Parts: sequence; C-alpha cells; structure tokens
Amino acid sequence: MNALYRYRRTRNQVWMALSFISTIIGLGILTLILGGLFWKGISGFHSGLFTQMTPPPGGEGGLLNPIVGSLLMTFIGVLLGAPVGVMAGTYLAEYGDKSALASIVRFINDVLLSAPSIIIGLFVYQVMVAPLGHFSGFAGGVALALIVIPVVVRTTEDMLRLVPVPLREAASSLGMPRSFVIRKVVYRAARTGMVTGILLAVARVSGETAPLMFTALNNQFWSTDLSQPMASLPAVIFQFALSPYKDWQQLAWSGALLITLTVLTLSIVSRALTSSRT
Amino acid sequence: MPDHTVKSYDDDLMEIGRKIAEMGGIAESMLSNSITALVKGDTVLAQRVIATDPRLDALEREVEEKATLTIAKRQPMAIDLRAIVSAIRIASDLERIGDLAKNVGKRVVAIDGQFAPQKIVGGVVHISDLALDRMKRVLDAYAQSDDAAAMDVWRHDEEIDNLYNSLFRELLTYMMEDPRNIGFCAHLLFCAKNIERIGDHATNIAETIHYLITGEAISVDRPRASDAIIPLST
Amino acid sequence: MTENKNIVEKISIKKLDFYYGNSRALKQVTLPLYQNMVTAFIGPSGCGKSTLLRVLNRMYDLYPNQHAEGEVLFEGENILVPGLDLNLLRARIGMVFQKPTPFPMTIYENISFGIKLYESLPKSEMDGRVEDSLRRAAIWDEVKDKLGQSGLSLSGGQQQRLCIARTVAIRPDVILFDEPCSALDPISTAKIEELIDELKSEYTIVIVTHNMQQAARVSEKTAFMYLGELIEFDDTSKMFTSPGDKRTQDYITGRFG
Repeated sequence: MNALYRYRRTRNQVWMALSFISTIIGLGILTLILGGLFWKGISGFHSGLFTQMTPPPGGEGGLLNPIVGSLLMTFIGVLLGAPVGVMAGTYLAEYGDKSALASIVRFINDVLLSAPSIIIGLFVYQVMVAPLGHFSGFAGGVALALIVIPVVVRTTEDMLRLVPVPLREAASSLGMPRSFVIRKVVYRAARTGMVTGILLAVARVSGETAPLMFTALNNQFWSTDLSQPMASLPAVIFQFALSPYKDWQQLAWSGALLITLTVLTLSIVSRALTSSRT
Repeated sequence: MPDHTVKSYDDDLMEIGRKIAEMGGIAESMLSNSITALVKGDTVLAQRVIATDPRLDALEREVEEKATLTIAKRQPMAIDLRAIVSAIRIASDLERIGDLAKNVGKRVVAIDGQFAPQKIVGGVVHISDLALDRMKRVLDAYAQSDDAAAMDVWRHDEEIDNLYNSLFRELLTYMMEDPRNIGFCAHLLFCAKNIERIGDHATNIAETIHYLITGEAISVDRPRASDAIIPLST
Repeated sequence: MTENKNIVEKISIKKLDFYYGNSRALKQVTLPLYQNMVTAFIGPSGCGKSTLLRVLNRMYDLYPNQHAEGEVLFEGENILVPGLDLNLLRARIGMVFQKPTPFPMTIYENISFGIKLYESLPKSEMDGRVEDSLRRAAIWDEVKDKLGQSGLSLSGGQQQRLCIARTVAIRPDVILFDEPCSALDPISTAKIEELIDELKSEYTIVIVTHNMQQAARVSEKTAFMYLGELIEFDDTSKMFTSPGDKRTQDYITGRFG
C-alpha cells in the first residue's frame, strides 16, 4: 500500500510540475508580448497621437485619421451586422430549432465563423470594389459586417437558449403572441448576453487587417467620405511597421498598443456584464 | 398488499398491531380469570386480575404514542390511516374491557366469604362465556382482517343484552326471596352489567374493524334489546 | 360536499388522447372540472398529469409533434378545434408553473404587462388593478414599497405569489397550477395553499402536485392518474381515506413499485 501510495504521489507531483511549467511558459510569452508592446508603444504616446494626421516619413504626426476610420468602419460593420445576426440567431433559437433549414443555416454560420478573413475581404472586393472601380470605407464596413454576423448569430442563439423554457411558457400562458414573448420577455432576459456577443464581435473586427486591405485600402489623408478609400489602424500598422522609417515604426507600435487596449477593455466589459448576471 | 417503499413504516404499523394483539390477550385472560375467581370465590386470583390492569393501561398509552408518532412522521393515507385510527380506538375499547374485568375482580374481593349459592352464579357464568366468545371472535376478526366475522359479532350483540335482561330479573327474584341475598346479588348484578358492557365494547371493536376494512362507518344502529338499560317494568 | 346545489361543470374532458410524436401519453381520459372547486391531479412521475394540465390551455401547441385527440369542452366549446385563438384561450385559462417565473422587469411591470395585452387602462386604473391583483395574491403588503424593483429581487415564495398575481391580473376563469410549491419552503407553501383556498371562490382551480398531503389539504376533488390513464376520480375526502382502486391505494399509502 505504501509503495502504491508513494508511486501515485510521485506521479501526481510530476504532472503538477509539468502543468505548472507549461502555465509559466504560456503566461511568460504573453507577458513578454504585452510588456514589449507596452514598452515600445507607450513611449510613442503623446498629445498629438489623437489629434494629428499620419505624417509623411520623417515628419511629425499622429494617428487621428486611422482611428476615426477604424471607428467609422467598425460602426458600419456593427450597424449592418448586428441586426442581421440577432435576427438570424433568434430564428435559430426560437423558430427554426431542429428544422432542416435551421441546421443548414447553423452549419453555414459555423463555416463563416471560422472562414479566413482574407477570403471575406476578397469577396467584398469582388462584389463591391471591382464593379464600382474604387476602394471605399463603406466596402470596408460591409466586410467587417460579414465578420460580425456569424459571431452575433452564434452568441445570440446561445444566449436565447439559456433563457429557461418555463419563462417562455409563462409569457405564453398569459395569452401573449409568440413575437411578443420573444421581444418583450426573452430578449430582456438575454439582454446582457446578447450585448456581450456584440461587444465580442466588435473586439474581433477591430483588429482585422486583411478584409480592409481589399476594401477600404488605406488613406494617408483625413477623409470621412465613405465612398473613398479610408485609413484604419490595422492597415496603418501594417504599412508603417514594414517601413524603414523609425518614426513610422514608432507610430505602428503605438497603434498596436491602442488596438490591444481597446480589445482588452471590450473583453473586460463583456466579462463583467456576463458575470454580473445573476 | 405490497410493502411500503419505506420499510420502517411497515415496522411502525406492525409494532402497533403487535401491541393490540398483546392487549387483546391480556384483556381476554383478565375477563376469564375474573369470572373464575367469582365462581370459585378465589380472592388471590381476583387480586391477580386487579394487578394486571396497569399493564393494559400502559400498553394503551404505548399504542397511542406510537400511533401519534406514526401519524406525525408518515402522514398515513387511506388504509394506513384507517389502521392507525382503528388501533387507537380498539386500544381504548380493550383498556375499558380491562377496567370492567378489574371491577369484577374487586367485587370478588369485596364479597369474599359471603354466602354464594352456585345456582345464582350460574347465570353470570353463562353471560360471561358469551362475552368471552364475542371477544375471541372479534379479536380473531381483527387479526385476520375478516369483515364478515366482525359483522357477525356485531349482529349478535343482542344475545348478550337479552341474556342480561333475564339475568336481571332472576337476580331480583333471588333478592326478593331472601333478603340475605341482597348484598351478594347486588354485587353480582354489577358484575353482570360489567360483562354486558364488555360485550358492547366487543361490538364497538367489530364496528371499528368494519371501518378499517371497508372505509365505511356503519350507519344503522346496532341491533339491541330495546330495554336493556332500564328493565324496571317487571 | 357533493350535495352543493350550484355545481357547474366548467371544463369537460372527454375521451382525450395525447401524443408526443408517436408515443401515447394520455389514454381516453374523461374527467369533469367543476367551477369554484379545486381539483388535484396526482400520480407518479410520467403518469400524464402535467400533460393533461398542459392540454387545458393548449400549452403543448408551442411544440411541434405534440397533439391531442378527443374533446375538451370549456364552457361547452371544444378548445381542441384547429383555428382557435390560443392567446384568447390562454388569457382565460391562466397557468402558474413549478419554478417561479417572474419576468425580467419591475414588480409593477410584471403585473401590468399582461393587462396591457388586452386592455388599455389609464394610469390610475392600472395602478388600482395592479394593487388589486397583488392583494389577491396576498403579496401586496410585502411589495407595496418596492414596486419599482426587479421581480427577480424577491424570494422564491414571493416570486411565486407574484406569478399568481400576474395570472389573476388578466382575470381568467380557470387557473392551472403545475406543482406550484415544489420549489418552495414549507412556510411559503402554506401561504400558497392558503391563497389557493381563497382563490377558489372566484375561479376554477386545477393543481398538479407530487405532494399528496397538499392535494388532500387544498382540493375538493382528486384525480389519480397512472401510465396515462385516469384510474380514479372522486371526492378528495374519499380518495384519501378509502380509495376505490387498489392502485390508488398503493400509491397514496406509499406502496408503489
């Protein structure tokens, strides 16, 4: 018995040590990345970062136009994508359920969810940019919407399914029409979850580069014209980071930090929302 | 009938049943012993009958406590509920039977040494045999859940009543014949009355058994001699 | 009890069969439900008692592959006919569920919400209606100072009474209770039972319960169901002291399986 016990204890210690080391490695790499990003990024933070345009090489400047561009296109993406996603998710959870159509929609949605974003960029290029003959901020927004939709569909469906069945039955038992039950009771019960889903979708698209390269391209200058090419943070980071100019590289670091902070904030907010739901 | 899902529930009910059976046995032997003591003028046996009564009282309390506890613990329904309610009622009847037998015993002690012609006692022996027979049959009916047997006891209560009435007249005659008999006969009269009431309790038990088995109370009045209580018209 | 002169048969269930897909959950159930009386459905799990209850307001219609055959006459009209307005039916036959299901809104809105579906009342009248409903559900005194708080902030027993108030508010004729106390503590249970006793003077009440003592306490009539069949239906006083059927006896005395 003692031998067996010692053997088990040793095994346990070995596995614990291995798990511990793996955790350290994982966390260490993450700390290195975040630390490096902060170190390099924070030094480029200055008052002009949010008020000045991207500079020519060697010039003084900030990231105002890509920040505004990113915000605009993300806004369009959510504006177009979220309603479609919420409604499709509602269909899947409330009406389609196990029907053939719902199964197909669910499958395609899953495919879309894991589709490489560059393909979405190419698709929008093909249907919007190529026929119109020029890149545009609106096309960028559409591409982002296509990424938002599957995320929102999935989270909406999941969140609606978490709403207990008796709550729906109770609402129905008062003589409430189905659509009423969903809009007035089920949505309310699932509200925080659904908002969380949309926030996560925003976090997801705010770092997307590939779909924007083919749609909104980039713009060195101030522009809020949605029919024209538009700057975005990821695209600017991509361009500046690969440039040989020291100050451009510095701006790229700062932009990367900005995006990271945004995503981090969104994640924390959405986590707080879900956990405060009791 | 299949057992309860909760086995200890069966144990509770069985324990109550056992106590009732024990009470029945004690009450029966108290009655028969008290009559024997009366016939033989055996005061020692009579004292023994008197000394047995506390045991019967204690058993009745135990049945009541156990029944109350079972009701509280199990919330019995239907047949179980009736079984427990019946047990309480039967225990109370048996306890009363014991009291009445004890009273006969006390009278045997009281009339100790007085003149006791056998022909006078004969009538009392007869009625007590009948009462004893009722008790045996009703207790068997309870043990075997036999409604027909219980109803048979119930229907024949009249016999004891009638016998009591004729015994009453007989004893009156003896008293009128010879005033020296009055004291003794008066005691005998009370003994006979006690036994007649034991018969009534046996009939009560029969009614309880009927309720226990069928769930219905007997709504019609028990058949009884119309003037069993006040046969003073003679 | 049965000699009561004003017995009205509010709902008549006639030869009702119910199917989940192909499996038959109710078999030829025939049963009357009387006005101003509490009728209890008892029986082991899966016996069909909840199914039967859910036929009465056609709750099963929310799900595909469930259907009923036979007749359920509500005030003489068959409610199983296709094309019946289910929402109107459900407004007249209310239901209270096993777990309290307050809506995620304020206590006031929980009550006013159902009323607004069918009536548009001015604010003052609505206030009166809300108060009246909460009073009927014996919860007014506990919530009158916090009508603006979420219904979810109440205790389980209070939530259940809120749900009863919500049902009462739309003025149904019949209230169906589906094991309303199974998630509640004994004190809350007693309050709900007291409430059911008061409500029966105005409504026809049907209660499904696993708690036989509860059925014995609150109901006038009891129906015992087993394997989808109605085994016995009688006065509650009779059912719990001397049931006619051996299966009923075995079930209520705890001798089953």
